[in-house]
Formats: sequence, structure tokens, C-alpha cells
Amino acid sequence: MATNACLVVSLWISCLLATTHAATFSSLQRTLVLTASPQAGQVLKAGEDNITLAWSLNTTFASGIDSTYKTITVELCYAPISQKDRGWRKTVDELAKDKTCQHNIVKKPYTSSNTTFTWTVRKDVPGATYFVRAYALDSAGKEVAFGQTTDAHKTTNLFEVEAITGRHVSLDIASACFSAFSIVSLLGFFFMDKRKAKSSK
Amino acid sequence: MAGIEGSPGSSMHGVTGREPVHAFSVASPIVPTDTTAKFDLPVDSEHKAKKFKLFSLANPHMRTFHLSWISFFTCFVSTFAAAPLVPIIRDNLNLTKSDIGNAGVASVSGSIFSRLVMGAVCDLLGPRYGCAFLVMLSAPTVFCMSLVSSAGGYVAVRFMIGFSLATFVSCQYWMSTMFNSKIIGTVNGTAAGWGNMGGGATQLIMPLLYDIIKKTGSTPFTAWRIAFFIPGWLHIIMGILVMTLGQDLPDGNLSALQKKGEVAKDQFGRVLWYAVTNYRTWIFVLLYGYSMGVELSTDNVIAEYFYDRFDLKLHLAGIIAATFGMANLLARPFGGFASDYSARYFGMRGRLWTLWILQTLGGVFCLLLGRADSLPLAVAFMIIFSIGAQAACGATFGVIPFVSRRSLGVISGLAGAGGNFGSGLTQLLFFSTSKYTTEMGLEYMGIMIICCTLPVMLVHFPQWGSMFLPPSKKVSEEHYYTAEYTEEEVQKGMHHNSLKFAENSRSERGNRIASAPTPPNATPNYV
Repeated sequence: MATNACLVVSLWISCLLATTHAATFSSLQRTLVLTASPQAGQVLKAGEDNITLAWSLNTTFASGIDSTYKTITVELCYAPISQKDRGWRKTVDELAKDKTCQHNIVKKPYTSSNTTFTWTVRKDVPGATYFVRAYALDSAGKEVAFGQTTDAHKTTNLFEVEAITGRHVSLDIASACFSAFSIVSLLGFFFMDKRKAKSSK
Repeated sequence: MAGIEGSPGSSMHGVTGREPVHAFSVASPIVPTDTTAKFDLPVDSEHKAKKFKLFSLANPHMRTFHLSWISFFTCFVSTFAAAPLVPIIRDNLNLTKSDIGNAGVASVSGSIFSRLVMGAVCDLLGPRYGCAFLVMLSAPTVFCMSLVSSAGGYVAVRFMIGFSLATFVSCQYWMSTMFNSKIIGTVNGTAAGWGNMGGGATQLIMPLLYDIIKKTGSTPFTAWRIAFFIPGWLHIIMGILVMTLGQDLPDGNLSALQKKGEVAKDQFGRVLWYAVTNYRTWIFVLLYGYSMGVELSTDNVIAEYFYDRFDLKLHLAGIIAATFGMANLLARPFGGFASDYSARYFGMRGRLWTLWILQTLGGVFCLLLGRADSLPLAVAFMIIFSIGAQAACGATFGVIPFVSRRSLGVISGLAGAGGNFGSGLTQLLFFSTSKYTTEMGLEYMGIMIICCTLPVMLVHFPQWGSMFLPPSKKVSEEHYYTAEYTEEEVQKGMHHNSLKFAENSRSERGNRIASAPTPPNATPNYV
């Protein structure tokens, strides 16, 4: 009974320790090779242009390194210039708190051979400078490796996305109509009042 | 109190909500009822209502109340409508932290000036036109939000929408034409609190509208623009309702009001002088800047803070942020009540201590909010912070009526402007640069609240004392209030209303014996 209890407690403590040990970016190895179609400095239009991605395992690493890889998730990540003065895009080593990559491109099961994917830049992607990063996740969904299209300092091979403005001609016209209605009805009521006051005197 | 129509500052009477008043009605012997008038509520000789019947829409008195506070509420909704949507807007317009901070400053700065102009407009055109003109002329500025495509445009539009907060002045002025001065305190206090709630309601309304519009198929960057049409329509609807259903006076006659207004019984110059040279005025300007001011600043940053720091969905961040502003429903009246209650036992000293305690409590919990790492703790601290800050707003206007009788209106107006100025300054210092994260900004704001509340210890009334010093035996209430008039003005008898007020204000001595004989022909000590 006592040993059973001890076992349960120690298992529980080790589980706790396992989950509280947060994954950090610096602990990940760059074992994936990721390429993206945009050239450095190219400007893509949100909602119209495509990005073609290709990823595979870097064969220079020892075989068996990918034994824990179950899923690959590919993300669109902000380059440092688009993070400047914008704390909500900050890079933090602890992955759970990291806000560098906020736009998921695709999530696919892991295969060691070359995989490609074409993605149309979504309409809700903001206008900024980006690179692409792929994370390898284990069966628990925790990041175990990564690959990215830029260098370690995130300075090379960056591309831009030109976002939609969100404005529409119909909205502009509606705005103008309602504004005009507001002013005209105000003046209308005002002069009606004045006329009523004059006629009643 | 000086119930002279059109005298400088009379439009602000009752805004404090804590003047010696009978809460919801005033009985006949005190103010005689005009029995010939056919109104839903009992009225006095000027046909102003003697009773405040909250759940009635009776024309003209209660209808005016509801039209008035809802217009003010609508303007609060549109001024702070952008705040809960900032996480979407900042991506659409590629804003930096300083852009967002500057827009927040701009949203509260415009009304510093527009409130001053609105006073004059109400005097010239009447409160009905003042309210309707402002609400309907600011509707285009709300619609302009959907056209914005750059940081500069965003800041400019928020600045223009902010002008609409001057409906506060028209709201209070209009009600002073409709309600007897003995109940105007409660009426105006309720209207001010309920109007301020708009800053909380908008944090709920806008994310909800945004979600609904997105579900109908819009992209995020279009959905937020469409969401702004709703506050714009509210402006138009309220403007039309005010124009068609509202009237300036109980009898509906605007020109009569203007005739009376010509006979200003006091000189604006002297009223302003006595307001500006009373050091207590400036202490309360500072204090209100750190109770109302921090409330406005927090309205602007809190939703974004919860969205970013705790990774909440937009509408959940909005719900939490809304509880901050909605606390005004009860917290602000509570502050006034606490001030009155402490005055019963400890007089003015009680009022000052109550104010200091409430505002410092708000500051402490603002600091703790910045430090809170977990969501439940942050929400709990935010709620206590909101109660502290908003109750302090109510308690501030528990003391202001006693600072001056002659210049009450101007001092109330200056304090109100101080609130907006404090908000602009705080947002500029702590929430506009990447030097401080928002949590650090909240911490520093909390520290600044605590420091800027300390000057209340310097407020000394010679007839009642201060937080630490006892009253001076030689000075009575009459001395203090008559000191605001020169010898010639006293001889003209201009100070009579102040004398009446001084007699009523003896309650501020607390539990001690209330009556003290006024020495005749005594030279008032100007303090």
C-alpha cells in the first residue's frame, strides 16, 4: 500500500515536472530544410498571390533524429523590422509565450521525404515583412525541431506581404450617405423649428 | 444655492451630485408646488420637476433625463469604440505602439476644448440644440473611421470623435432647466455615472458586433470598419430623438430662456478669478486627473492588455474590460455616499479621508494589476481598482461644492478638464512608447495615482480643518464664503446666496455642535 502510494506520488510529481518544463526555442535543433518560393524582398498581395513551400529532413544529421517527429506545422513569422515598437509580436525564448509566428500556414503529418505545399496568402494577413518557419511536433504536440527560410539572425531572404486595406467602395459611399443625412436632417430640423417659431409669433 | 438663470456657472449646478439635496423629491412646504400646471410630476413655480421618477418617460422632465443621459452614453460608446478592436485595427493599419498611444491621448484631448465651447453654446442656443448639434455633427466623424487607412488618419479620427464628450455639459445643463435645484444633485449624479458606463458598454458591444459581422462572411479588416456604423447610427437616432421629442424648458419656450439669460447676475471675470486663485481648485484638478483620468486611460488600454497578456479571445477580453467601465453604475454613487456618510460623523475631515483612502486604494490595486501574472488575480485586482477610482470620482465631487460657492461652476468645469488632461498625460507617459510594456505602464500609473493623491492632505478649510489639522476657532463658514466677494459686492448684497449656503454647510463640522453665531461686521479673512 505504501509503495503503491509512493509510486503514484512520484509518477504524479514527474508528470508535473515534465509539463512544467517549458519548451524553449534555443533548445530546438535546426534539422529541417525549408524553402519558400518568394524571392528576398518580393512583395506578395494578400488574397491573391501564392507561396510554394518545400520541406524535408536535413540528411547531414544522424539517422533516427526524426524518431519523435509526428507532425509538421508551417507558420508565417514576423521579421525583426515588423516587430519593432510592436510588443504584441515580441520574440521570447519560451515557445508558449513566443509571438513571432502568429499565422499558421499548414499542419501535416511528418514524412522524412520531400513535401511541398502551395498556400494562398490569406486576406487577414497584415502588411509586414515575413519569413517562414516549420516546427516538428512530437506526439504530445510539443516542438522538438525546426527549420526556417532565413538565417539565425532573421536578416536574409525576407519577403513582404501587401495586405488588403479592408476598405470597399460600398463602405465609402455608405459612410458619405449617412454623414450627409446626419447634417442635412440636423439643418432641416433646425430651420423647421425657426420657421415654426416665426409663424407662431 | 444660486438658482439665478444664466449666471456664470449655474449650468454646472448639481453636477457634483453631492450638494445638500433631498434625494428624490422635495416636499411642498420647502418648495411650493404650482398646482395650476398640468404635468405628470409635481413642479415648482418655474415648472421644474420636484420629483425624480426614474422609470418614467413623462414629457418633459423624465423624457429629458433619458434623452440626455442616453446621448451622453452614446458619445462615450463612440469615443472608446476603437479600444477593444485595437488588436485588429493595429494589424490592418500597421500601427506601432506609439501610434496607438497617441490615438488614445487624442481621444480624450479634444473634449477639453469642446466642453468649454459647449457651455457657451448651451447659453446661446439652449441645451437641446447644443446636444443635438454635437451628436449629429459628430456622427460623420464616427463614419469616417471606416475610411481610415493610415496611422495619421486613425489618430485624427479618434481626436474628432472625442469632441463629442462635451455632451456631458449639455446633459447637466439641460437637466438643471428641468429639475428643481433641491433634487438636481441626484439627477445629475445619476446621469453622469450612467453616461460614463458607455466606456464600459462599448468594450462589450464592439467585439460582439465585430464577431457577428465576421460570421456573415466579412474579412476581419472589413468587419471592424462595418462595426463602426452602429455607433454612428446611434448618434443619428439620438440626435433625431432629441430634436423631435426634446424641449429646452418645461413649457417648451426657448426664447424665454434666452431672455432670462441676458440678465447675468454675476461677472464671469470675478467668478473666474476666485476659482483660479483658490489653491484648493488646483489640488482637485490634479486629483480628478488621477481618478477620472485613469478611468479614461484604462478604458483605452485594458481590453488590448487582456488580449495580449493572457491570450484571450477578443470578445472575452472585451467582457473583462467592460466590467471595468460598467462598475460606474454603482461605484461612483457609492463614492458620493461614502463621502456623505463619513461627513455625518467626521465632517469635512471625514470627506477628505474618504477621498484619500478610496483613491489610494485604487492606486494600489492598479499597481497590483500590473504585477498580476494570472488571469483570475488580474481580474480581481482590476475590479477593486475600478471601484476605488470611480468611487474616488464620486467622492471628489463630494468635496468640490464646498471649495467655493460663487465659483462652483467654473471649479467643477476645471476639475472635469483636469480629468481629461490627466488621462492624456498618463497615456502619453506610460502607454505610448515601447519603453514600457503595458503591465509596467499600469504599475507606474498606480504609483503615480498614489503620489498625486497625497496633495489632498494639503486641503485645509479654516472653518473645518483638514486631514490632520484642526479648524481655526476664529473662522466661521460665513467668513470663508463671504471672502469671495469684495466690500462693494457685499454692500450690494451679492453674497446673500453664499450666506444661505454657509449656514447649510455647518453640517460639515461633523458630530460637533452645529450652530455658531456669526459675528456682525466682522472682516472676512481671505484664505
